[in-house]
Amino acid sequence: MELFRYSRSIYGGSDQLIGASWDLLPWFVGAAVLVIVVHALLSALAKWRARHSA
Amino acid sequence: MDQITPNRRTAGGAGWDRVRRHTLLDRTYHWLMALCVIVLMATAFLPILGIKFEWLDIHWITGVALAALVLIHIVRALFFQDWRNMWIGWTDLRELWRDTARLLGSRSALALPGKYDAAQKLYHLGVAIVILAVVGTGLLMLLKIDTPFWRRNPYWFSADTWGVIYVIHGFAAMAIVATVIVHLYFSLMPDSWYLLRAMVRGWISGKEYAQHYDPSRWKA
Repeated sequence: MELFRYSRSIYGGSDQLIGASWDLLPWFVGAAVLVIVVHALLSALAKWRARHSA
Repeated sequence: MDQITPNRRTAGGAGWDRVRRHTLLDRTYHWLMALCVIVLMATAFLPILGIKFEWLDIHWITGVALAALVLIHIVRALFFQDWRNMWIGWTDLRELWRDTARLLGSRSALALPGKYDAAQKLYHLGVAIVILAVVGTGLLMLLKIDTPFWRRNPYWFSADTWGVIYVIHGFAAMAIVATVIVHLYFSLMPDSWYLLRAMVRGWISGKEYAQHYDPSRWKA
């Protein structure tokens, strides 16, 4: 997986940095989904504990 | 300052019918910013996902609108509102630690927050960083396009510097996608519908105020 995008000069030489790699977009979406899933699970667990300890 | 709808007492809650949480100006700012962010995300990422259209003009004009909104918000927050409502202090960090521990099963006492809880303040800080990064780099990127107001001049920066500017813009834009998804989740959670209503209509009930907030930390 690439972190950055580069352009290659047709005249040779080193690659030029041109931006972030868009392949990372699913990872950012995945991180958000992970936060949601963890929070939802912990909230459900906390409510379950509260019900059963009452 | 936050105001209470005058002379409307009820028997329950804090003794007040409604407590104003967001003024019309702040709600208008919030929804205009949301509209800008949605348009910017669509014009940025739909072409990348294969849906091709003329996105650049819509993108830069909306970006300039977002920059103006952010500037207005900063001026209002610093000079016309109580910026301490959003300041993260030791009390907030302790509260965040305690809330996380409670979520993990600790029986520590529930501490009521001020107008914004620690998680909301941290979220605001994160959004502020990525929005300022994307707006700052976006304004610099305007140098690379012709508009009715100026001619392009891409030679202000070296190719390497432009690369760094584009990298920051790209990472911040992808981070905004993540923050929007998380924001939608917390906004639509049934437990926080009263906050969504407050962002639409401006108020929370006196009962919600008494239930969710420490009056000594948020003096309504």
